[in-house]
Amino acid sequence: MDPIDFYQPSRQSPKGILVIFALNTVKFIRRFFVLFVAFGLSLSKKESFSFLSTTNLTLIILGIFLVIFVFAILKYLNFKFHLVEDEFHLSAGIINKDATIIPKSKIQNVYIKQNFIQQLINVVSLTIETAGDDKAEIEINALDRTTALDLKKQLFSRTQGVDPNLVGQSSQNNVFFKASVMRLFLEGISQNHIKSLLVIVPFLFGLYHEFEKYLQDFGISDRLISSVNFETGSFLNLILANIFIVILAILVSMVFSVLNTFVSNFNLEVVENNETLEINKGLFNKFSLILTPVKIQNIIVKTNRLKQYLGLHTVSIKQAMVNKKQQRNFKVVALEKPQVLLLIQKIFTRYNGEGTYKKPNIYYKRLLIWRSSFFGALANIPAFLILGNSFWLINSVIITWIVLFVHFTYKKASYQITEEYLTVNGGFIDRVHNISELHKIQSVELKQSIFQKRKKIASLYIATASNQVKIPYITEDTAKSIHDYLLFKIESAGRDWK
Amino acid sequence: MFTNQQINLETLPSIDDVDFKPISKQYLKIIVINRVFLYLLIMAGLFFAKFMVKEDNFHSLFWYAFALAVIFFILNLITALMAFKKRKYAIREQDVIYSQGLLVSSMATVPISRVQHIEISRSWLARKLNLATLKIFTAGESGIDLKIDGLDYSEAQKINDFLSKKVNGPD
Repeated sequence: MDPIDFYQPSRQSPKGILVIFALNTVKFIRRFFVLFVAFGLSLSKKESFSFLSTTNLTLIILGIFLVIFVFAILKYLNFKFHLVEDEFHLSAGIINKDATIIPKSKIQNVYIKQNFIQQLINVVSLTIETAGDDKAEIEINALDRTTALDLKKQLFSRTQGVDPNLVGQSSQNNVFFKASVMRLFLEGISQNHIKSLLVIVPFLFGLYHEFEKYLQDFGISDRLISSVNFETGSFLNLILANIFIVILAILVSMVFSVLNTFVSNFNLEVVENNETLEINKGLFNKFSLILTPVKIQNIIVKTNRLKQYLGLHTVSIKQAMVNKKQQRNFKVVALEKPQVLLLIQKIFTRYNGEGTYKKPNIYYKRLLIWRSSFFGALANIPAFLILGNSFWLINSVIITWIVLFVHFTYKKASYQITEEYLTVNGGFIDRVHNISELHKIQSVELKQSIFQKRKKIASLYIATASNQVKIPYITEDTAKSIHDYLLFKIESAGRDWK
Repeated sequence: MFTNQQINLETLPSIDDVDFKPISKQYLKIIVINRVFLYLLIMAGLFFAKFMVKEDNFHSLFWYAFALAVIFFILNLITALMAFKKRKYAIREQDVIYSQGLLVSSMATVPISRVQHIEISRSWLARKLNLATLKIFTAGESGIDLKIDGLDYSEAQKINDFLSKKVNGPD
């Protein structure tokens, strides 16, 4: 294949028509889905739409598809891009013409993605993200892989002041980490199932609501009720039914978690290039992104008791100015502990994870007790309304929860400040480590309530361009000296933080 | 040449030595006017409801609600006046510090080298009293941004010029 000359205005691969067509069709169906369902239901019930014979209906549907297809072709024809020196030019739009110019230096990230259709016809999409709000990004729907990689290299080349040809030759691609199927499976199993349950339940309710009428017609609910047989009303039956529901819910959410983990992390690998790290993953939607260590603000390492036992760690990498949707993809799951440290060191080269951690003041523990007791006491009110006089039974659960919560939250809270890095640990069920580089800190804030002032306790909030961490409840003097030290570190580092 | 001297933590510039400056006394007027206006609105709403609502329950509760509004007004005014003294700022060679808050006091520091942009905004009242609000933004949506209310307009401009010069100037 001839290499595309990026310095001449060029279209994407003609296969792009198909991709645009498919994307628009999906968008169309999604937007009018409710309408379709309502339409279909009324059609099956009444005969008022009798003028709609099968042929007419087919013709209408074909007409809609044709319109979408013509739009796809026009969109393809009007979509041209090229490079002019250090700028990326794009012209697009059928009726309203948009001309976009992005200087290379303003490009934050370039992603290569591949959804299901793109996998079928063997093209990839390339997304260029600039600093700014969520809409400030450009997507080229269909390029073949080599072109896309080439373009990506070109886009990054000037920003780092390296000759593009040099990059191509000297970068050796070394697969640093690859998640096996087994480990992904374990990762799925050991996920927080309550969270996935919270995702599923509203979805099921929504579905049920939508098809309530249908279900009633089929008499499913009658059959369900008769099969569970509530009328005996014996306590044992009730408990059995509840246990059955709980086990079913756990199983469903487990399957959901495993599938979800598989689909989004299939073939997860971290590739080490010369200056950058590359993350590839995804089953239906393949995703590839490049991390430039200088732009990374924070690294968050997450694990929990069970995952730690299985040797599973999740590393989230926070880069400045990345939109929320993409942020999810900056995540590597199922890492083993030594690999975590290695990965961190690839980004924060002088991080060694050693040294002692300091704990928050004991005041933090007292505060946690007060707070959770307050909510525990509050929980008695709905319990009284539901359970009646035996409501106090619920306190045995609440008190156990409070004890566990306070104990583990306090136990896991600690922080460390070294010459170059700040690490803050926390979490209740999860164990969360948040690592940031000192010279990338944006601002520091010291906070204390009027009660804490009397006890000489303060909290410190430290913001980087991608998130904020809190060193909770340390003595005022420590907080002040950390404040002074951090500012000294930031201010002596100059303005080079990106 | 590269040097790597050990830093004596004791000799670092300390936050305790900073000489904070209070904001303009004029801003007290804005605080009072805003509070009075808000509560007058609430009370007017209550009275309006008194004439519109026909239910007896509401009328028996009306004076309690009114008294509650008055008490809240007084408490709010007192805390706002007491908190006024806590609003202080300082400009150092390398950073801007703003502290505020009575019940929860905070002291935020933004290094000048991390400032993204600066904004002076003035409400109608502030224009009448010749005051201005200085907003200092850092990068990222999660960042801690400074908003210093009630500066003299000339003072705000002076700070703005100083900071702008430092932010845009050669490093």
